[in-house]
Amino acid sequence: MLDLFTIFSKGGIVLWYFQGTCEAFGPPVNSLIKSIILQERGGDNSFSHESLTLKYKLDNEFELVFVVAYQNIIRLSYIDKFLDDVQKEFRDKYQDVLNTRNYGGDFEFTTEFRQILKNAKEESEAQGKNVKMRTFDESSKSKKTVNSMIKNAGTDDGNLSKKKTSGGTDGSPKKNKKKKKNKGGGNKGLPTNGVTEVQEEPVVSNGTVEENDIGEAEVGGTVQEETRMQKLIRRGIKVEPGRKKDVKKAPVKKGKQDRDWGINGNPRVDSSLDYSNPKQDTTADSEVAEDDVVKMERKNVGQSATIQNLVEESSDEEEVLEEEEVTLKQKAKPQKGSSYGLFSMFSGLVGSKKLTKEDMGPVMEKMRDHLIAKNVAQEIAEKLCDSVAKKLEGKVLGTFDRVATVVRAGMEESLVQILTPRRRVDILRDALEAKSHGRPYSITFCGVNGVGKSTNLAKICFWLVENNLRVLIAACDTFRAGAVEQLRTHHRRLNALHPTSKGSSQVVFLYEKGYGKDSAGIAMEAIKYGNQLVTLIVFTARDYNYDVVLIDTAGRMQDNEPLMKALTKLIKVNQPDLVLFVGEALVGNEAVDQLTKFNRALADFSDAQQPRLIDGIVLTKFDTIDDKVGAAISMTYTTGQPIVFVGTGQTYSDLRNLNAKAVINTLLKA
Amino acid sequence: MLPLLLLLLRGRKSKKRTILLTGVSEAGKTALFSKLVYGKELESYTSIKENSGFYSVASKKLDIPIVDIPGNDRQRLQFWEKFKNEVRGIVFMVDSSKFQKDVKEVAELLFVLLTDPAIHGLKLALLVACNKQDITMSKSAKVIQTQLEKELNTLRVTRAASLDSTDSSGQMNRYFLGKEGKNFEFSQLSPIKVDFVECVCKSTGDRKADIRVVEEWIQKIA
Repeated sequence: MLDLFTIFSKGGIVLWYFQGTCEAFGPPVNSLIKSIILQERGGDNSFSHESLTLKYKLDNEFELVFVVAYQNIIRLSYIDKFLDDVQKEFRDKYQDVLNTRNYGGDFEFTTEFRQILKNAKEESEAQGKNVKMRTFDESSKSKKTVNSMIKNAGTDDGNLSKKKTSGGTDGSPKKNKKKKKNKGGGNKGLPTNGVTEVQEEPVVSNGTVEENDIGEAEVGGTVQEETRMQKLIRRGIKVEPGRKKDVKKAPVKKGKQDRDWGINGNPRVDSSLDYSNPKQDTTADSEVAEDDVVKMERKNVGQSATIQNLVEESSDEEEVLEEEEVTLKQKAKPQKGSSYGLFSMFSGLVGSKKLTKEDMGPVMEKMRDHLIAKNVAQEIAEKLCDSVAKKLEGKVLGTFDRVATVVRAGMEESLVQILTPRRRVDILRDALEAKSHGRPYSITFCGVNGVGKSTNLAKICFWLVENNLRVLIAACDTFRAGAVEQLRTHHRRLNALHPTSKGSSQVVFLYEKGYGKDSAGIAMEAIKYGNQLVTLIVFTARDYNYDVVLIDTAGRMQDNEPLMKALTKLIKVNQPDLVLFVGEALVGNEAVDQLTKFNRALADFSDAQQPRLIDGIVLTKFDTIDDKVGAAISMTYTTGQPIVFVGTGQTYSDLRNLNAKAVINTLLKA
Repeated sequence: MLPLLLLLLRGRKSKKRTILLTGVSEAGKTALFSKLVYGKELESYTSIKENSGFYSVASKKLDIPIVDIPGNDRQRLQFWEKFKNEVRGIVFMVDSSKFQKDVKEVAELLFVLLTDPAIHGLKLALLVACNKQDITMSKSAKVIQTQLEKELNTLRVTRAASLDSTDSSGQMNRYFLGKEGKNFEFSQLSPIKVDFVECVCKSTGDRKADIRVVEEWIQKIA
């Protein structure tokens, strides 16, 4: 069943593993580590690699990782619990060894592992068996309160409703009635009131199935489904008034529906249409029902009020809990503050404490809000916090550590990881390499309108020229008015700044073909035009010894399909060495949308096996955002690609590398 | 006051004695670590935390702290920052079988380590361990050395031309590797002493793991 189960330290040393199949030992786990754990995508703990599904669990106290892998066609419902069990067992067994962080010893765990696996399987099988028919008492229906059945009172046949109401008419409270019912059903005398039912359920289902009791047995799911049902029922009670209306309407409707007219226009004289006798019955019934309904209503007046109260209470409780937490914290803080004495220090040394999710909750909340306030996209702030919480859960707090400090440190570490490029981008190095191979190095710029593609292209051009490279600019923005002229101006200025000796060609060359004339067929033309243009450019560059080709494309909104297709085609045909996405640092939530949609368009519209995606990001207008540097995080997190350049102003020299540390400091600064 | 004293004492104890195992991902750092510290070959995955342990030199009655830092590109510099101040020697692992493919990445990492202001002027020892010599197509230490020298030569030019960072604190510390006006060679790095050795950290089939040269080097510098 399981292909692989492995336990290893965070340092990567495998302590113990179980291998179901002979292949797949290293690569799936390594790719899990690289693409999930290291990218801070740890909110969700499963990952698929080829035909395998991998689930992992971090043990932050002993710094262990537990990974289980199985074929993804199999659905193993017990896996999460199984992981927990193995973790617990393994920790218990090797606690002392693990504390010393000595991984050289023998970790013999096979027998325990098999035992846990067997138990887990049996348990899940036992649960599977429960899907069989259950007795009425075991079914969720028997636990329904009478109130929730009201809806049926009108529509069910009279017998049932009478039976039901017979219990209700004596005005005894709900609980009594229930007990009665339970006794009749032989439910082993277990008290079933709303709250405890859920816990009792396993006991009931483990009991023998009493077949003669099958009344309205329901083929239901497992315990979870039952709890869900219960919740629904309770919710049902909450919305009582609405239901009552339905109930009242129901009998009225019944009389009007489904009249079957004969061919000659007269009502068909049919036994099914003979309402003479039964009709009276039904009216009587409905009267009875309505009577019942009124009674029920009356009863509900008090009850629904109490239930509403309960709801409020529960929310009250939460508030109280929160308050308690706060007060606890407030209490804890001064204690800590006063605990700098000599003795308390030693007590602190002994009483180290594990970090739990609850401890981190409020701090994480604050952290998330803080990140959002700094312009990190909301979705990403949440994912990041989840991931950091997972990374820190179970970690042992040091003597003087406060939760907030630990969380902050954890967040900082994660952010550094995110901003550290996953791959190497060294344009100068690669351009030199391309030059030595006798081909130009090409960079395509893409992005939405008005983010500064052309401006930053000019800055990058300046930087390249400063480094003795000869640059060719391709003006592929063929529809915005003035786009070509803008580049022409840059071209003139750049050449004026770097005058060459007579005879040799200028250092910057602008390749332009004017604008597309037909605005209707502009997308189509752009594709053709762009292609011709750029394929030509590469040749031109080769002939005239240009080292770098910078391709300026038209700005496009990420939802504009024809334009995105055009871009994809341009990239596909020309295969630039680098595709840079230009995004402004001002964006908030939009950053994620832009990048994912650009990436998706590049992937979807390309028929290549491995489509070219965005290789890097140019972050522009960085000087306008003060300390709201969140866009940098949003963008790198979304694509996993590095920020290659940062535009910080209007002049040619306002181009920078991103300093991850500075960005993170600004980001975490209060 | 007391904790401060303790911290100071502890700080002094571990200072400048550590041997740091570094290199790009899947070069064999953790394999070498387990061989040195635990004396046996253990399976390993990509590290996400450092491994630290002690290697005991029987002849000198010394326990040398060994730290193996993660080699994946997102973490290696972060951990380097963390441990660079305690370094006595660096073992830079290279996967000789994949060297041709990785050469730029390897060179860049080595460049970053060598130009770090924290190790300037220090009497460090650097061992470039060309691992996985058991694989047929692997490059010899000599080839790796010349290729790295060539690559670092290019890198110091392109890196010098790289842009300033966004940090307002201004200029990056630009340290020129080697001697200006000359092609780069590892011998120009003094007082940092660079050695190249070949080793095998994992036994495969009939070929036994062989890290004797690395052990000798550690004993020498300890």
